[in-house]
Amino acid sequence: MRGTSGDGAAEPELGLGLSEVGDYAVISVTGEIDMYTAPQLREAVRQLAAEGRMRVAIDLTTTEFCDSTGLGVLIGARRRLSDSGGSLVVVCANPRIRKLLDLTGLDKVLDVREAVPGE
Amino acid sequence: MNGSRHDRSGRAEAVTVRFAFTPAAAYVRAARLVAADVAAHAGVATGLLDEVRQAVGEACTRAVLRHRDRGIEDLVRVEFAIGDRFVAKITDNAQDLRARSDGRIPAGVGGGDARANDHDAIEEDTFSEEITLIVLGGLVEDLVVTGPGADGSTTVSMSWPLPGSGPGADH
Repeated sequence: MRGTSGDGAAEPELGLGLSEVGDYAVISVTGEIDMYTAPQLREAVRQLAAEGRMRVAIDLTTTEFCDSTGLGVLIGARRRLSDSGGSLVVVCANPRIRKLLDLTGLDKVLDVREAVPGE
Repeated sequence: MNGSRHDRSGRAEAVTVRFAFTPAAAYVRAARLVAADVAAHAGVATGLLDEVRQAVGEACTRAVLRHRDRGIEDLVRVEFAIGDRFVAKITDNAQDLRARSDGRIPAGVGGGDARANDHDAIEEDTFSEEITLIVLGGLVEDLVVTGPGADGSTTVSMSWPLPGSGPGADH
C-alpha cells in the first residue's frame, strides 16, 4: 500500500488484516501507525463496532512503528467498545511499543496481552 | 547529506541540517526518517536511533497538531545540529500558555499515569498533544520545551550523545 503523494514523497504504509479468533474480531496491523495512518485504524474499529463486533483485538505484533497518535486510537477504541458493552484487547510483544505503553501508563489501562485470547 | 565535516586539522565542525514542512500529517514521517538518517550519519549509537526517530516524530506530531488546532498554516521548522551532541529542535508557531516559564518538562511520567487512569478525562481527539509530551518526557533524557517566544512559537529541543562527547555521553 506504499504510494507516493503528488510531490513524489513516499507515504507511510499501513496494512490492516481482519480475522476472527474465538470471540474476537482481530485487526492485525502492519507498517507504521502515526498521525497520517491512524485514522484508518480508527475507522476499522468503528466499522467493526457498527457491525456489532464489540469484542475486538488489535494485534500490533507486526507493527513496525507506533506513535502517540496510535496510542490515542487505542484509547478511543477501548472507550467506544467499553461504552457499548464490548472490550478491546491489545496484542503487543514489540518491546518498543510496550515501552510506549509503559511510559504513558496505558499498560495499566489497556488490556495488553501476548496473544489474542483463545489463540 | 554529510553528518559531520572536518577542518584541515581534522577537528569536527558543527554541522546543521535545517528544513521546514507544511503542517500536515503526511510529512511527519519524512521528518522522523530524516532525523534518524542525520543522527546515524552523525554517529549517534545505533541503539538510540529508534529513540531519535520516535522523539522527533512525536515533536513534529505535536507541532502539526498545534498548528492544525489553531488554524495556523505556517511551516513547522526542524533543525538538527551536530556538535558535541546531536541536537534536534522542532519549532511550531502556535501560542502555548501551558509552556512553563523555565522551559522544562518535569522528569518522569507520573502525570502520565494519573492521566491514563483518569478514564473520563481521556478523549482521543484531545489526547494526542498531551501524550506527545508525556512520551517525550519519558523517552528523552535531555528535553527542553521553550516558549512561547515573541512570535508565539514554542520549541522542543532534544539532544543525544555522540561518540567522544565526554563524561555523561552515554546518558
